[in-house]
Amino acid sequence: MSTNAGTRPAPGSSRWGSVPSRPVRRHPLASGTPIAYLAALLVIGVTVVPLLFVVVGGFRTSAQINADPAGLPSPWIWSNYSGILTSGTFWRFLGNSALIAAVATSVAVGCGSMAAYALSRYTFKGREALYGLFTVGLLFPLGVATLPLYLLLRQIGLLENPFGVAIPEAAFSLPATIVILRPFMRAIPGELEDAAVLDGSSKLGFFVRILLPLSRPALTTVAILAFVTSWNAYLLPLLVFNEQNHFTLPLGVATFQSQYSQDTARVLAFTALSMLPALGFLAIAERRIVGGLTGAVKG
Amino acid sequence: MRRIRTSAAVALAAMVAFTAACSSSGGSSPAASATGPVTLTWWHNGTTDPVKTLWQQTADAYHAAHPNVSFTIDPIQNEQFTTKIPLALQGSTPPDVYQQWGGGQLTSQITSGKLMDLTSSVSSWISELGATAAGWQAGGKQYGIPYDQHVVGFWYRKDLFAQAGITAPPTTMDEFNADVAKLKAAKLVPVAIGSKDRWPDAFYWDYFAVRECSTDTLKQASTSLKLDDPCWTRAGNDLKAFLATSPFQTGFLGTPAQQGAGSSAGMIASGKAAMELQGDWELSTMTGLVSNTDFKSKLGWFPFPAVTGGAGDPSVALGGGDGYSCTTKATAACVDFLKYLASTDVQKKVAADGVGLPVNPAADSALTDPTLQTVSAYSSKASYIQMYFDIAFPTAVGQALDTAVADFFAGTGTPAKIIQSVTNSASGGK
Amino acid sequence: MPEAHTTVAAADAVETVDGSKPAGRTPVRPARPGGLRKKLELTLLLAPALLLFLGFVLAPVGVAVYYSFYNWNGFGPLNDFVGLQNYHDAVAGPVFQHAIVHNLIIAGLSIAVQLPLSIGLALLLNRNLRGRSFLRLVVFAPYVLSEAITAVIWLLILQPGGFVDQVMRSLGLGGLIHQWLADTSIVLYTLFVVLTWKYIGFGIILLLAGLQGVPPELREVAALDGASSWQTTRHIVLPLLGPTIRIWIFLSVIGSLQVFDLVWIMTLGGPADSSATMATYLIDHGFRRYEFGYGSAVAVLLFIVCFAFALVYQRFVLRRDTDGALTRIVG
Repeated sequence: MSTNAGTRPAPGSSRWGSVPSRPVRRHPLASGTPIAYLAALLVIGVTVVPLLFVVVGGFRTSAQINADPAGLPSPWIWSNYSGILTSGTFWRFLGNSALIAAVATSVAVGCGSMAAYALSRYTFKGREALYGLFTVGLLFPLGVATLPLYLLLRQIGLLENPFGVAIPEAAFSLPATIVILRPFMRAIPGELEDAAVLDGSSKLGFFVRILLPLSRPALTTVAILAFVTSWNAYLLPLLVFNEQNHFTLPLGVATFQSQYSQDTARVLAFTALSMLPALGFLAIAERRIVGGLTGAVKG
Repeated sequence: MRRIRTSAAVALAAMVAFTAACSSSGGSSPAASATGPVTLTWWHNGTTDPVKTLWQQTADAYHAAHPNVSFTIDPIQNEQFTTKIPLALQGSTPPDVYQQWGGGQLTSQITSGKLMDLTSSVSSWISELGATAAGWQAGGKQYGIPYDQHVVGFWYRKDLFAQAGITAPPTTMDEFNADVAKLKAAKLVPVAIGSKDRWPDAFYWDYFAVRECSTDTLKQASTSLKLDDPCWTRAGNDLKAFLATSPFQTGFLGTPAQQGAGSSAGMIASGKAAMELQGDWELSTMTGLVSNTDFKSKLGWFPFPAVTGGAGDPSVALGGGDGYSCTTKATAACVDFLKYLASTDVQKKVAADGVGLPVNPAADSALTDPTLQTVSAYSSKASYIQMYFDIAFPTAVGQALDTAVADFFAGTGTPAKIIQSVTNSASGGK
Repeated sequence: MPEAHTTVAAADAVETVDGSKPAGRTPVRPARPGGLRKKLELTLLLAPALLLFLGFVLAPVGVAVYYSFYNWNGFGPLNDFVGLQNYHDAVAGPVFQHAIVHNLIIAGLSIAVQLPLSIGLALLLNRNLRGRSFLRLVVFAPYVLSEAITAVIWLLILQPGGFVDQVMRSLGLGGLIHQWLADTSIVLYTLFVVLTWKYIGFGIILLLAGLQGVPPELREVAALDGASSWQTTRHIVLPLLGPTIRIWIFLSVIGSLQVFDLVWIMTLGGPADSSATMATYLIDHGFRRYEFGYGSAVAVLLFIVCFAFALVYQRFVLRRDTDGALTRIVG
């Protein structure tokens, strides 16, 4: 270890000590140059235009959209958005979705990180087989398992119950969580673990106090993935819930669709509003992806 | 390790057996008739107005007249029905009243043992509804009651016909083809079709079959599922000749039927195409797609043209309807409620609110739109209404038919293959 | 592969997954607690995930496999045992065979096109651009959108004469306009473009997380040595991103093999099955036709394809990631 013996190295500090600063010749593709900005602009353009279509579409009527897909609202219709925001049903759907997503995410990340830790930093007989077993869960599309899953949920009485959606969602998010977390956890230097043990910590203590904070980028990533998967889930909530009060947001969209018509404008308004919480979660979480092992020197 | 595997296998097998056993249907014992308060769970597909309000009002009115019957209404979006019904019918608490489209689907659902046989309870008044009610029978027994009916025909734009110099709608296929040519010469799209969704394609094959085959042959087909009469092949050949005239819009294979302005319904509503073969629901579909409803006055409707040499009765129409079934847990209140839905009062509202064509002829006068009145008049004079085959046949066979016809529209397959798809699927092939 | 077992004292300091010993020091370590303690810890760590997984994933999947040996329309009991007939029908059918090919095309394209795009964008978004956080949010937003809405929007946009066509004409590219969703020879590639738009955010987030493990000091040392930015990227950053990239490829190929929602809503697998995937086939010819046994059999076949890939991939590619890059190799 290159740090002083006897003191515990702070998480995130550099393994290579400090590097003398010296002006470096700027390369054309370095940050802040015009080419980088141009590339960024192109990326935004292609990504954002369909998204703008959703947001702006909410300010039009379906007839406007149908007459001129690419046009701007004329006149601007506020009633789609305001109607949705003032209706109790939207907030109820939002609350249901949020509760289910929160439970699914915490369960998936909690159980998944523990399992990933065991699978990455312990050795035991059957470890790779167990890891393989979890990977197998990735390979079966959820849609097929829903019929037996529905029967199972009915058996244990979890229908019409948000946990009947959240727990299976967590279970199906486990494989991806473990698959992503394991290499990250493995890459944490063993020296840290040795130091922790030297300080008298147990392996579990190391897990909670050192490994988890260090794994924040990976943990945040899997949390986002689990959250978004749950947020957009459609088939499982469809089967579990019959009463409209329990619906989640994707099911709520269907309330604007009937057999013979589709209120496109309201669907778009509803969608735009539904995206906001998930994006909000990302905005908060995104800052935590950057961090972790990056050096304290450059700041 | 081996020991763990065995016990896991045992546990798995036990669970499988458990769930299979619990999912198998209980006996179809009739529910005890309740004289006390009853709550009926009602599943329908009216997630938006006008249907949603209509059914709510209907439930309230019935509750006012029968205070010990209340309702729990769950509107379920149409496409979700096909997913939820098999699951609901497996459980011990299916909805008491649920939407039923009859035909082969009804026959499949009966095997769950959960549907109430209504024959004796409705025998006194079912004849009021005419021939349509036959679509909700299986093996001669009544398992559902329709509340509206549908008929398929050509919706057309009078203004575009006038532009192309067509004075009267065509009555034979030859006249139709001539009109297509005139529309093309006037640089107009003759026929719009939502081929992406497949079922609009099937309407054409269905109607050619209806024109070529005698009524008896048609009736037999739904039960025997054998299409060996040569009239079926002739229908396919008619379709081939029709497709050869290229009557459809560019890119019709990717056009949806009802979603958005680019849909075939949207094209008719905005005057981008002259004709579409669709059901009476087309009017409500179009209304939701454009801002000004001027187009309604420019619309007309004519029945599918006659085919020279066809053995079919020219007054037979292709159609269907919506209805409801009761499940065995429901009580006599359910049957009484369905009778209420078929009564003149409710039927008049069904007509007036634009929900559909009433199935009770006494309510025909309540239709407001002139084009719908034309459609309704035609259907009441029809000697027989053939249910669209994808509903009349069992679900698997019907879907196989739709797919085969859609493939044919896309240029793959032959008329013989369409027939083959039906017989193959009927005999259990995949 | 042989695995060294944990034993008390210094031996575990040098154990590795494949049994080789790293060169260098063997630090002195305190005696390890006994095996019972370790078993307890392992049980605590693994039990919750395992229980959830067995109960809610494996058990239903097992039941689905059970259904696959029957013809069953979803109503009534399972009483029409057909053995492997469903599997035979699926594999022998031309539609399913085409569906597999389509899935492989999408998987291949995702590696060839989406991967470089994701890496490039992740590198770009890792730099200190102004508004970087906002950009990341924007790029990730399509992933947050549900597949159903994505399909509905793109369906609207791709209509003949719709938004895309209008834009192309205004850019003078009118000659390149095709029938994006009606032309059987290009519909699959149109769908791939939409899939890329949707899932690029997923790759970027994953790669951004991976980039955090690349110490900037390394890049600076390289720059000090006179390496250009491109050289640094190619020879230092990319290899260090290796494990993340390999995970991305794994998840992306599995996702490509299972793609369903988007294709279903946009084309139903059509026209004439030209964009059918294994998943749309199983829903279309299985569940929609109330043939749950057949649908389950096709699902098992889909699973077998995924499993075969996963097995091969684990064995030959992900195995490399068990070697630590820079530090003491962890158990």
